[in-house]
Amino acid sequence: MGLELYLPLVAAGPDFSTLPQQLTNGLILGSIYALIALGYTMVYGVLRLINFAHGEVYMLGAYTALLVSWAFGFAPTSPGDPKASVLVLAVMLLASMVVCAAVGAVIEYLAYRPMRKQSRISALITAIGVSLLLQYGGALFLPASPPPTISGKVDPFASIATLTLSPPPADLVDAEEAARAELAARETSLEQTMEAEGVRNQFDLSPEGKEVLQAKQAAEREVNRTAGAVETGSITIKLPQNRLVILGTVVGLMAALWFLVMKTKTGRSMRAASHDFESASLMGINVNRVVSITFMIGSALAGAGAMMNATFTGTSLTTFYGLLPGVKAFVAAVLGGIGNIPGAVLGGLIMGLAEELSVWAGFSGYKDAVAFIILIVVLLFRPGGLLGSSKVEKV
Amino acid sequence: MFGKRTWWLTGVAALGLLAVGCNGGATAGGGGESGGGESGDEILLGLVASQNGDLKPWGDDSVRGAQLAVDQANLAGGIDGKKIRLVIQDSNSDATQGKSAAEKLASDGVVTLLGEVASSITEVMADVAVEKGLPLIAVGATKTTITTKGDNIFRVCYTDDLQGPVMAKFAYDDLGLRNVAIITDNKQAYSKYLSETFRKHFESLGGKIVGEEFYESGAVNFAGQVTKLAQASPEGVFLSGYFNEVGPLAKAIRGAGMTDAKLLGGDGWDSREILQSGGDAIVGGYFCNHYNSQEDRPEVKDFLAKFNDAYGAEPGTTMGALAFDAAALAIDAMKRLAAEGKEINRENMTAAIGSTMDFKGVSGSITLEGMGGNPPKRALIVELTREGQVPAKSYEAAEVLGS
Repeated sequence: MGLELYLPLVAAGPDFSTLPQQLTNGLILGSIYALIALGYTMVYGVLRLINFAHGEVYMLGAYTALLVSWAFGFAPTSPGDPKASVLVLAVMLLASMVVCAAVGAVIEYLAYRPMRKQSRISALITAIGVSLLLQYGGALFLPASPPPTISGKVDPFASIATLTLSPPPADLVDAEEAARAELAARETSLEQTMEAEGVRNQFDLSPEGKEVLQAKQAAEREVNRTAGAVETGSITIKLPQNRLVILGTVVGLMAALWFLVMKTKTGRSMRAASHDFESASLMGINVNRVVSITFMIGSALAGAGAMMNATFTGTSLTTFYGLLPGVKAFVAAVLGGIGNIPGAVLGGLIMGLAEELSVWAGFSGYKDAVAFIILIVVLLFRPGGLLGSSKVEKV
Repeated sequence: MFGKRTWWLTGVAALGLLAVGCNGGATAGGGGESGGGESGDEILLGLVASQNGDLKPWGDDSVRGAQLAVDQANLAGGIDGKKIRLVIQDSNSDATQGKSAAEKLASDGVVTLLGEVASSITEVMADVAVEKGLPLIAVGATKTTITTKGDNIFRVCYTDDLQGPVMAKFAYDDLGLRNVAIITDNKQAYSKYLSETFRKHFESLGGKIVGEEFYESGAVNFAGQVTKLAQASPEGVFLSGYFNEVGPLAKAIRGAGMTDAKLLGGDGWDSREILQSGGDAIVGGYFCNHYNSQEDRPEVKDFLAKFNDAYGAEPGTTMGALAFDAAALAIDAMKRLAAEGKEINRENMTAAIGSTMDFKGVSGSITLEGMGGNPPKRALIVELTREGQVPAKSYEAAEVLGS
């Protein structure tokens, strides 16, 4: 029984009319991965340290966005019905970035700086310790139970933007309109019947009333069928506007990062420190300042990603919110070549696209595994990652 | 740009692959009390609950419900002058920790084990219970096969063999749906089994499953899955997972253009948080539940009044009522043993619980005699409105499975 059903699904297989949509989905998902991956890669580039607490910085960014939205009256218990505005979103974004930058700098100063002269494994273990501290310590003072959600009301970009690549045939559109008109008529007669029978629950109707209900349901199915025909007869990309906002913000932040690293004096000292930490300090570069700035920038990017993800998907927050995205972004950084900034972006995009394309091919159950398999294959052939160099380090 | 040690990174990659199987979970030690073994003047009743982690809303209600039943029994004089003490261990919403919690309670000397809500946690607890000969009463675990592990495994809720078919019948007969898609949480035994029973029954009624997609607990991005399902234009979507993901999933479904599809689910939806995370997208969805606080039965009114007195609010989920029923049923078995002059130990408790006849619980009448641990229960379908859950229709087990 299962076989007959699954076979046509598998045989139908990848369906090319949704490919543009899935590529867009992958691009947006990948851009968020890339944003978080930048934090891992920049810190590694300068300090050769894997900052395992980066996922927790991300989590704190999501909580900052939540608390700011509450302060603007979007808490479930607060009275009134506040209106969504771009200004509130901008304040949330800014607050998340600032708080995360501060948290990143504090973590570096308190936890990693004292370990800098120690062996690298000690610093790594410290990073894991900080991560656990924030996960479990955070639960003591952050609202985690019941898991809170950033209210959907805060989002002015919830409506769906449709980009039509190939329009549906006109007769299909006409058929859908006719079906919708029929449904509207059936709905009116159902309302009248329910009023006449004096019932408020449509499942309590008399047998005659049930017939009216069933006629309405048949009209609903017809609407669905004709709408489906329109859908499959055209190629469109449908996106809630907020996902375009995510993409735009990520691109903007990355451009700003590129400018900062390549065109400013701070950026030059960061590049110098990552090239050779000791020599850079001998040349008069304040490496402590460089390290602090690196942590602040990486953390602020994670904060921006967290704010957008938490606000636009409506997932409940716990102090473990950063665990999975942290792992994924770390993998993206390694995939692109950890320590290499364009590599992190490339790795993130590949991860995002790989996930959505495996869903598109009909393997949603294995999408996480596919991303990790790609990583292993890449590391087998290019051990330094896609854009990383793989020269053996002297120890 | 920088060099690195290749063996190390490859190792990390392999670890990452492992992490696919075990991400999202938490790893804290279960805190709490340690009962002092066999006590002369106390009877120990064990409860495993998710006091931390994703399933905390259910865990908190489980603790409150069970404690209320124990407090009431103690107020009424206890069992033969002995007080009952509820010993609680935290499972942290995690199967591995649920197992150690059950082992800890078994070594503390509890005569009966209560819990859990999630089937995946209850399943490993059942292994412990069978090994130690300890009767287990599951609070909200609906996966059917759990009770086949041993004669000492019971539950107070219905099974997915009822829940899946009830929702299938409701979707086909009452909502008039013919083409339905399924979204399953691959990491939850509960969700996988519920999807399977729904699929079987919906197809046997003549409906068509037009697609099935998967995600894992803790996922936040569903864009790919819903894009794929939208292409099949289902009239309804059955979401068999838990409330944490169902809310955002509902938003994603609407965002992919499935604006008219009816959303359906199982008792995994039951919590107030789902209206927060799902917002307008989830309003109008239907799911199968165990009881409703608007019912008129005296057991329900009495329970809600006492719960309100004790905690100042109604339970946020139905698990308050189910945990109350599980504890009250165990206490009822103790009373029967005491009346017959039998010793209250694990073996006698197993027999006494197994011979429960028509116990009047908050969630309806419970009979375990000759049922293999699964009481025939009534299933209630509720609609999610902005104000909360509104009863839509109820089914007796025989109505759905008998025909």
